[in-house]
Amino acid sequence: MLKILFGEAEHEIYHPPTYFDNRYEDEWITDSLTVEMIKDIDKSEVIGTHLIQSPVLGPISTKEISGGVKTLILMAFDESGRIFNASACGDNCAKWIVEIGKRKDLTINLHHVMDFHEVPDFEALILNTGVTVHSYEEYLEEAVKIKER
Amino acid sequence: MKGKYHIIVQNNRLRYELDIRRNITIIRGDSATGKTTLFNLLEQAFTLGESSGVDVLCERPCRTLGGRDWNLVLPNLHDQILFLDEESRFIKSREFARAVKASNNYFVIITREDLPNLPYAVDEIYGIHTSGRYRDMKRTYNELYRIYSTEEFTGKQRVEKVIVEDSHSGYEFFQSVCAENDIACTSAGGKSNLKDAVSKQDKPVLIIADGAAIGSEMNELYQLMRCKPAVKCYLPESFEWLVLKSGVIDGKVIQDILEHPEDFIESQEYISWERFFTALLVEYTQDSYLRYNKSKLNEAYLQGRVKQAILTAVEGVNWGKRSI
Repeated sequence: MLKILFGEAEHEIYHPPTYFDNRYEDEWITDSLTVEMIKDIDKSEVIGTHLIQSPVLGPISTKEISGGVKTLILMAFDESGRIFNASACGDNCAKWIVEIGKRKDLTINLHHVMDFHEVPDFEALILNTGVTVHSYEEYLEEAVKIKER
Repeated sequence: MKGKYHIIVQNNRLRYELDIRRNITIIRGDSATGKTTLFNLLEQAFTLGESSGVDVLCERPCRTLGGRDWNLVLPNLHDQILFLDEESRFIKSREFARAVKASNNYFVIITREDLPNLPYAVDEIYGIHTSGRYRDMKRTYNELYRIYSTEEFTGKQRVEKVIVEDSHSGYEFFQSVCAENDIACTSAGGKSNLKDAVSKQDKPVLIIADGAAIGSEMNELYQLMRCKPAVKCYLPESFEWLVLKSGVIDGKVIQDILEHPEDFIESQEYISWERFFTALLVEYTQDSYLRYNKSKLNEAYLQGRVKQAILTAVEGVNWGKRSI
């Protein structure tokens, strides 16, 4: 299930892209979920563990993929117990956050109100209030009441 | 610092073009649009200069600011355009807000956070999009676009209720106009209360707020408005800007200023533009019957020709059939 905490979190990684560069594992990159996320968000192809083909930048290293995708990969595969700041992700990452939350218990924190309006079947537990929201509208109503960012 | 600056940042594969015209500019938007790449190019150019292979073309020096010692570095920088990336956690601190207010630099901040301590304008929140290949077809061309366009906020339906951000002169003006047209009018008592006010509305409501400093509220307001299509927004720079724009104060100088305010507003003196427009209105009316006081509206602004001129300056709002 997806759990969202607004504001600062204990064990938070505020800037996940930097953490990713220093901690990612090779096998994460070629996992089918990663391949799909890189294709969708970065419009790029995973050629191998250390090589991505970008339509804009040409052949790039794994460390040059977008900060949003790096954060998604950490959410999907990192088992350190850290909480990753999803404000490093654009709204185009929202559906993938929800998808990862369906595959595992995922806790994220947000320093802004992310826009989940394009995600169908949105459900999340808002940790600040203990309320489970079952739609984007319920999420937004709950989120704007919370002061922490 | 004052003025508008055109910035070109490019290497062999990428070219960015930006126009920066206020002390605070925010860049946000989807992942993979090139925000971090832009920042990295500027960082390389600043660190290595020409030998980086990155061209940065601008009338003013452009550099990055970040790291633990930002507060030691910033006081020594003047009349520059400073870029900050989202990894800089300090951007939401009160200390940084104070430093921005005391600074004569322009700040371009890459972040999705709202930064309520900083008064930035709705018009200066941008995303980056790729607009195609540059002449040689080798280089991808990127430019800024405004995330919040005015057209999305205003509507043709008759207003049934008005909520004004302000609780002083601006509110008194719109309260009077609404009373004549059987429209309910309340003050939100500050921009941070607008979300609360909007979330309780179901009928057609018009929010009137200062566009010059509403930036930090826009992400959440925009999402709320999408869920409540009957809620619309009118975001002039400020009420004082509206009065100046209406032409009730004669003078070519004022119209000239309004056409390109960035050339007149010293950022160190005015943290946001609405403060400048207030000072301008006070200065130009001090010896006239229109003497302006922000905390209490001069009755002259509610009389015939003056009131009509201000309302004419309001664009895209349907006040109803009754003549004002």
